[in-house]
Amino acid sequence: MNFARIPRFALAAAAVALAAGCATDKTRYGDERAVETVTNEFGSTDLQLIAESMARSMQQTSAIASGNLPIVTVQEVKNRTSEYIDTRALTDSIRSELQKGGKVRFAVDQSGLKQQTGEIDRQQSGYYAREQSVERGQMVGAQYRMEGNITSIVKQVKDTKDVYYKFNLQLWNIRNGLLEWTDEKEIRKTTTRG
Amino acid sequence: MRHAWIAAAVLAATLGAGCATKKGFEVPGQAFGCPIGDQKIASMEDLVKAKVVMEGTRTTVLPTEMRCTKTGDLLKIDANLNNDSKVVKRISYKFRWMDREGMRAWDEEAWKPLMLYDNSNLMVNTVAPTNKVADFRLILRSQE
Repeated sequence: MNFARIPRFALAAAAVALAAGCATDKTRYGDERAVETVTNEFGSTDLQLIAESMARSMQQTSAIASGNLPIVTVQEVKNRTSEYIDTRALTDSIRSELQKGGKVRFAVDQSGLKQQTGEIDRQQSGYYAREQSVERGQMVGAQYRMEGNITSIVKQVKDTKDVYYKFNLQLWNIRNGLLEWTDEKEIRKTTTRG
Repeated sequence: MRHAWIAAAVLAATLGAGCATKKGFEVPGQAFGCPIGDQKIASMEDLVKAKVVMEGTRTTVLPTEMRCTKTGDLLKIDANLNNDSKVVKRISYKFRWMDREGMRAWDEEAWKPLMLYDNSNLMVNTVAPTNKVADFRLILRSQE
């Protein structure tokens, strides 16, 4: 009797395996601004939340709100978390939001300086019409520099993982070394299994 | 003589009341500091109805109070969200920004997740991303 049952189970298992093997992947476009909770690692929602929060807060500081289009340069955001985070993507998003707001101008930063001076040198190489070529010594220095850091605290027990992120951004006055503005954004995510 | 004094006092009080300005909606086109255009807004409930939009799964979490002010030339908004249920609620929200012509003044914002404890309030505040913003909507959806 039992022997008669085994082939049935085997048949069902084989059918499931075949069906899984034949299943096709379905790809669809999604909402790039939706809340993403696939894992509790740093994700697109965290990046968007931080960029928006920081840019909106910075716009209210007197250095920016005064309306005389201050020039800012972006320095490094240090990743002090235990995971890989593209901090350049974070500062790029903050910069885009601020630039679109129309209250700040950005000077070329350290990472783009080589390309900038390289292009000036190329135009000064003698191959280009002198009257249309940019001259050396015309670049504008920034009045403020933006830097920050992101830290995390991760705690895990058997079925629960808790991640806490803290992003801190600062705006420093280059001339006098004063801290003009600083703000933080905190994010907590908890994953429970089961 | 005494009656004459009383009549004069009543007249003065009436005149004073007549000249007093009505508090709350002094600025035309604004209610509680928030831009309302030519809409008729008589109460906080009306303002919440006019400014809050539900998208996706509806949530029972709603603002009980909304106030706006200006910080520099930017519109600043405070919205007090209330969860009057006996369970923790998870929602997401975003603001939608319009210019004077009713066109979008800014790209669609990211949905921001929020957790509200049972029987609790949470103040959500934001600043318009640009001074082109003349009006806004608060969009809410459930994340349950």
